[in-house]
Amino acid sequence: MDETDPAFGDRIDARLLADIAAGAEQAFVELYRRRHKDVYRFAFAMAKSRSFAQDVTQEVFLNVLENASRFDGAKGSARAWLFGCARYVTLDRLRLERRWTDDMPADVATHDSDERLAADQRVERLHAAIARLPVEFRETLVLCELHELTYAETARVLDCPVGTVRSRLHRARALLAAMLDEGAEASTDAGTKLGPLEARGVCS
Amino acid sequence: MSEAPRDASRLNADLAQLRAALQKLEPPAVDEAALRARFRAREQQRAQEAVSERAGGSRRLPLAAAAVVALVAAGAVTFFGLRGERPASPAVAAAVPEAVPSAVGAFQPLLSSPGLSPSAAYSVVRVRIPLSAFAVVPGSQQDGSIEADLLVGEDGLARAIRFNEADALRVSVADQ
Repeated sequence: MDETDPAFGDRIDARLLADIAAGAEQAFVELYRRRHKDVYRFAFAMAKSRSFAQDVTQEVFLNVLENASRFDGAKGSARAWLFGCARYVTLDRLRLERRWTDDMPADVATHDSDERLAADQRVERLHAAIARLPVEFRETLVLCELHELTYAETARVLDCPVGTVRSRLHRARALLAAMLDEGAEASTDAGTKLGPLEARGVCS
Repeated sequence: MSEAPRDASRLNADLAQLRAALQKLEPPAVDEAALRARFRAREQQRAQEAVSERAGGSRRLPLAAAAVVALVAAGAVTFFGLRGERPASPAVAAAVPEAVPSAVGAFQPLLSSPGLSPSAAYSVVRVRIPLSAFAVVPGSQQDGSIEADLLVGEDGLARAIRFNEADALRVSVADQ
């Protein structure tokens, strides 16, 4: 069996979750090694903040410790279940952080925005635009487009019908295209580009 | 609102670039020792919760006590059954009154027990143990029994024992 085969990988994850529920410490470490990057990248894609992503990753795996026994392979893949945990924690923290950053001085609130995902300004602008999408469109786009989950898996993570996933994705892409066009026009007009600091300001 | 075909392909290309950039994104190094410590702490907490639940279920304690008594009784019955009917030693029988005043010594840990913990809860079970259950001392009487208190853990296993010293004294006198 090929480790890169998603079905094979998912069986391993499911097995590890069962072992964690039974109290196997090594299984917990192994699952963390295998999946913490997925969780971290999901949280980073959603919030565009490394410290946020780090906090979410820690909290998600604490949730795994508590709730591994609740995973039911018949209801979906282990990967989708983990993304579901990551989504739950991310949304919870986004709600908290929105309140929190409102009370923060701008220079502290945007502490992480100096972090650059890539040198490419187009990618930077795209990510900034994604971070400004309404959360239900953002999470759908991040799962489908950036983490390449199937519609069915995404529906499982979001706990909604597949049709809703399709329509949200369509809407998310349309909004994103419009935001990027506006950003391009604005940056042409002003002679500057939309940077992460501005994106943060709009987001909050 | 919908994307124009040209925008869709450009967006796809940009998303592919962002996807690739995300794949290169490395989380901070993992402190595995801290992970393991967290796991152990959680497991310990679970174990304590399980013990508390057991302690809360007061029905289990009498069952454990009954099990210990039953085991001792079964041992005695088996022993006497194997040896056949033998009258109790007159000396012992005469020496042990109906109601023995309680004169107890200190609990002694049992060699095979997992040990005592100051934070754990135990119950005391009073039993009568046939002398034959102890190691035989040459020339000693093996008939009769001695009263003892067993310290029983929440798992139903005996951890320590103490003897009724008045009983012990009578047995000792009877042996002489």
